[in-house]
Order: sequence, then C-alpha cells, then structure tokens
Amino acid sequence: MFRISRRNLLVSSAALAAGAGLGLGRAVAQSDATATLKLQTFGGDAELAGINSAIQRFNKAYPNVTVEVSIDPISTGWGDYVTKVLGQFTSGSAADVYGTAIETFQAFSARGLFLPLNDFVAANSGFSDFAPSLFEQGSYNGNINYIPIGWNNIMINYNRDLFDKAGVAYPARGWTWEQFRETAKALTVKDGSGNVSQFGYEVPNQNFFVLPWFFSNGTNILSADWTASNMLDPKVAETLQFLYDLIHVDGVSPIPGAEAMDNQFFAGQVAMINRGQWIVQNAKKNNLNMDIAVPPQKEKEATIIGFGAYAIAKSAANADLAKALVLELTSEETQREQGERGGGVPGRKSAASSEAFLAFPPSAFLYYETLPFTTPVPSPANFQEVEKIFIRHYTAMMSGQETIADGTKAADAELSESFTRLKQQLGG
Amino acid sequence: MTALRKPSDLRRTQARTGYLFVLPTSVLYLTFVLAPVILTVILSFAYYDPMLGSRWVGLENFQRFFTDRRSLEILWNTLRFTFFAVTFNVSIGLILALALNRAMPGWLLYFFRLAFFLPVIIAAAFVSIVWSYFFGDDLGVINYFLRVLGLPAVRWLTDASTAMTSIVIMDVWKNTGFFMIIFIAALQGVPKSIMEAAVMDGTPAWRQFFRITLPYISPVVFFCIVYASIGALQVYESIVILTQGGPGDATRSLSILIVEQGFGSFQIGYAAAISVVMTVIILVITAIQQALSRKWVQR
Repeated sequence: MFRISRRNLLVSSAALAAGAGLGLGRAVAQSDATATLKLQTFGGDAELAGINSAIQRFNKAYPNVTVEVSIDPISTGWGDYVTKVLGQFTSGSAADVYGTAIETFQAFSARGLFLPLNDFVAANSGFSDFAPSLFEQGSYNGNINYIPIGWNNIMINYNRDLFDKAGVAYPARGWTWEQFRETAKALTVKDGSGNVSQFGYEVPNQNFFVLPWFFSNGTNILSADWTASNMLDPKVAETLQFLYDLIHVDGVSPIPGAEAMDNQFFAGQVAMINRGQWIVQNAKKNNLNMDIAVPPQKEKEATIIGFGAYAIAKSAANADLAKALVLELTSEETQREQGERGGGVPGRKSAASSEAFLAFPPSAFLYYETLPFTTPVPSPANFQEVEKIFIRHYTAMMSGQETIADGTKAADAELSESFTRLKQQLGG
Repeated sequence: MTALRKPSDLRRTQARTGYLFVLPTSVLYLTFVLAPVILTVILSFAYYDPMLGSRWVGLENFQRFFTDRRSLEILWNTLRFTFFAVTFNVSIGLILALALNRAMPGWLLYFFRLAFFLPVIIAAAFVSIVWSYFFGDDLGVINYFLRVLGLPAVRWLTDASTAMTSIVIMDVWKNTGFFMIIFIAALQGVPKSIMEAAVMDGTPAWRQFFRITLPYISPVVFFCIVYASIGALQVYESIVILTQGGPGDATRSLSILIVEQGFGSFQIGYAAAISVVMTVIILVITAIQQALSRKWVQR
C-alpha cells in the first residue's frame, strides 16, 4: 500500500486548511497518494451530509483516496456501538478513523485502540479554535486520543408561548431550584377531572439529562476521578428528593418512564425539558416558540457536556492520510455546515459564533457561554454498566418503588461491585 | 456366516446423492445452530475480553447468577410473566375459538377472525409504542377515561405492582389471536357425528366441551402451551419498549439481562452463562409439561 511522505502530507494539509479557512476556491495542491480509508462514525442525516461534503473537499487534495463511510445512528445506546467497534478490532476489520463520543472514550482507550495525537494537535495551530478543555477530556493517561467535533450541553428548553399564556417570566441567569419549582407549578395545568393537560416540567428519564441537577447541587453520582461511587453523599439524596417531590408533592412532572417526552414538549403538553442543542431542528420543524436557559442552581450554576470526536486506529495502514482526513472532518467549513444543520454545538468557536447558528433559539449564545462551567458526563471505562445501574435505581426511586435511602444504598453497592470488577479487568 | 454383500453401484450413487442433498442443510445447521450453542457453553465458563485478556473462571459465572439477589429476582419475573402470559394467551385463544366455531354469516366470521388475528401480524415494536400511549400515567388514553368516569388513575407502567400486569395485558392482546387460529383449526377436526350424537342425547354444552371437545383437541392444547411457554420465557422487545425493564427491575426478563450484560457491560462470559441457565430452564419446563401431558393428552 502506498504511504505518503510527511512532507507531501504537510503541503497538502496546509493548502487544504488554507483553502478551508479562507473559503477560497479549491486551488489546493493535489496528492498522488492512492489508498482506501475506512471511516466508522455515528450520527444521522445532518452528520452524514456534513461528512460527505468534507470527503468531497478531502478528495480535491487526495483524488485517488477512496473514503468508505459507515455511519451508526446509535439507536440502541453507546454500549452497542462499543461492542461493534471492539468486534471490528478483534476480527481484524477495524476502520482507520473512528467517530465516537465521550461516553466511550475510556472503554476504547483502556484497550489501547487509538493513536496518541499529541504531536498532531501541536502541529496544527487551527485546533486552537477548539476549547482546550475538549482536548483535556479527550485524553487518556496524558495521550490525546480524540479530536473534538461538536458537543452538547444540557439546558432547560422552554416553550415561550406557554410561559406567556401563564403570565410567568422567562427564566433568568442564576435562577434557583425554588424559583424553578414555583415556575413549574405555575405552568402545570389540570382539567376538572384532575387530568393533567400540561406539565410544567419533565423529570428526565436519562442519565445525561438528569445529572445537571446533581452538579448544580455541588455533587455527582461518581467520585471526581470516576473510579468509585458517590451515591452515599447526602447531597445526592437531597437532589433525588427534590426531583421526587416535583413529581409526587408538586405534581408538576410525570414519573419518568421508558419514553422521553420530546413529542409532548413539541405538542405543548410539557413546558420545560432538559435537552441539548440537538432538539433545535425538531423545534424549528414544529414551529415551537422555544428558548433555552441555564439549569437552575442550588449551590452553583452548572451543567453537563457530552461531545463527539474523531480518533485514528493504531492499526490504520495510512495513519498520515487518516490524519489529513480528520483535519478536513474537523475543519471550520465542516463544522459550520454541521452546526447549521443541527445535531450539536460546533466544537470550533468560530463555527459556533456564526449568524446561522445563533439565529435560533434566541439565547443560543448560552451554549458556548456556559462551556466554562460544564462538567463532562462521567464516563469511566465501565460507563455502560454505571449508567444502567444508576438509571435502574433512579427510576425505581422516582416511581416510589424504592425509598431514596434504600435506592442510593443499593446503587452504591452495585456501582462499587462494578468498579471492583473493572479494576480486576484492567489489572489494577 | 454369510459374507457382507458389497453395495451395488446404484446404491452407492443413491447414498452419495442423498448425502449431497442433506449437505447444505447440515452445514447451515452446524454453522448457525450447533456451533453457536457449543461456543456459548464454552464462553459460560470464561471471562472473555480478547483485548484485556480472557481466562477460564470455572463455575464463577453460574455462581454469580445463583447468588445475586438481582438475577434471581429477574428469573422470578420471567417465570411469573411466563405463567400468566401462557395461561391467558392459551385460555383466551381457546375461548375465542369456541365462540367463533359456530354458525354465523361468513362475512361476520371472517371479520371476527381478522379482528382477533390482526395484532399477531403487527410488529411487536410498533404495538408496544401504541400501548405505551394507552398506558401513560397522566397523558395516557386509559387513565383519561378512568378519570372521566370518576375512577382513580392507575400507574400502569410506573408502579412495580402493576407494570408486569400491563405487559401481560399487551402480550395477550398481541398473541392470543395466534392461538385462536390454531384452536379453530383443531376444533374443525372434532368429528361432527360425535357432537351430533351428544346433542341428541341431551348432553349439556359444558359436558360436551370437557368430555368430547377438550380430549379431541388436547394434543393441540399441549402444543400451544409448550409453544407459548418457550416464547414467553424469551420475552424481550415488548418489555424493552414499554418499560425498559423498570421501574427498577420490576419487569426485567432474563433475555433483557443477557443483552445488557453481554452487549452493555461486556460481560460476555456471564451473559453466556445466563443463556445456558435459560436454555436449561426452557428444557426442564418443556420436559415437565411433556411428563404431565401423559395424564391428560389423548394419544
């Protein structure tokens, strides 16, 4: 297989980056490298369209390189994606470039699947457009394994029409749990038979959506280094009690079930829900008069971030070509296109500052403004197991099947067992 | 003693042809049935992770299953679901078949058969989504009408004491039509002459059923019970869509646990051990049903 020289690559990449950065015509130096690159990534139509455009631009510099794309919609969670990727590596059919998300980082890096990209990042000044914290969170044992693409931080998404109808003021920065509670009560509507026709809030049914409540109370379900359970922290129980009371005392939310309530939100049956930027496209399609607010605080303003990234397989036969492809996949042009199509906040600040991106919702600037105080979704190498344990006990506690005291204790015991097993697996 | 006669050329050719005919099926069976079964049994005695290192763990996976309160609760859920789903699917299927196995206008007969059979041919995933809207606590269709009638709402899917019942209700609605069709076919095989003789003798309807009809169709009833049991023990998608096994573990089945452990937690060996336990349970239940059937199934 043909290997391009580092010099050729640098010339081509520089031309490519210059072209992308200046938005000029495609007068880029062409490489005569001939190869096939396999890209395994995730997403939907918006992501695929952006990727295809990036590949077209990549092919202008590398006309003889074929990029085979396989995209996974992640319809059954990250656990299945990890299993799929591990299967590709064990069967010797690994792709060259992988798109993945923070939830999987440690599961892959602990197995040493991807190249360290510290030199690559240092050699490309264009990456300074990304928040440095994204590279820190994409590192494992000091090695940068992941180049960020886009991210999502959870915000309170609210229906402005329902606020107007109820005569309730829109949420302001620094609002508190108690103010949130009163707002949710004012936005809950019941008919004469006691049927709720409109909920003030949806107490979330997913790990990613519910964790900001813990963060804003200065706690987390795992220890700071993600190696142990923190379920016995009294603040965890306090947070769970607050959410339980929203459901069972105030009646402002249904009990979280298997289905998320996005459709009910779009239909005006729920006034506020915790979601990321991915919801914007559907809000537009449904002509929803929506805006976003920073989650309310108990101890501090806080929210959660999850992000996508590209990694290069250690087994990649053409690592330099793979790096050139990643450069294009993370270029400002690609990021702008993907940001405008929806699905997440572009990792590059320049792309997230574009007029098209900031046009909707009215407070879209908050996505980037809150980045300094977002906490990454706790993603240890046993993330899939941790998430399942937490959500199982969380839903049992929210439904009243388990008391909060028993549920936190049981979850703590199971999480501790899981971390013990993980340490054994990793040889710790 | 006579010497063994050498097979003729014709016999040899026929044998070769025979082997060639069964070869594709045998290869497919070995590759897609026998090999995975053997591999699963082997994996059940191992911790398997080709990248972090695999090792033999003996009976550790089985020990973990039988000493874990959670897995035993899930086993109990599965057996409970199987008992109620089989009982109601088969009995309601039989009652519907008896109701439709009588003289009525052809169009009405086909209408009823189609109405009861239609849920069988709709994908479980789709049906489950529709039922999740019916079962919703506050915005659900059933609770809306209960409240309009002044009755208290039921937490169909979010209360541990009612969630399994809700899943059984949906499962029976979805599958009983299948058993109805099987029973209708069986009922049409009961000799009319015997039934007419019983009517002429003035035998009450209930006695006709228990003394003539049921014994005649007992092999079919037995088949339906075994078939429904095997399906119910492997219940998966309807629970995943309706409750994801919750609240807590209230509706989690062994199949869900296998998928979660194998593909969510990468405990391939443990998942294989649960699969082996589940297979043994299915075999034991089928064997018990087979043994009991000697007392009531007409041979």
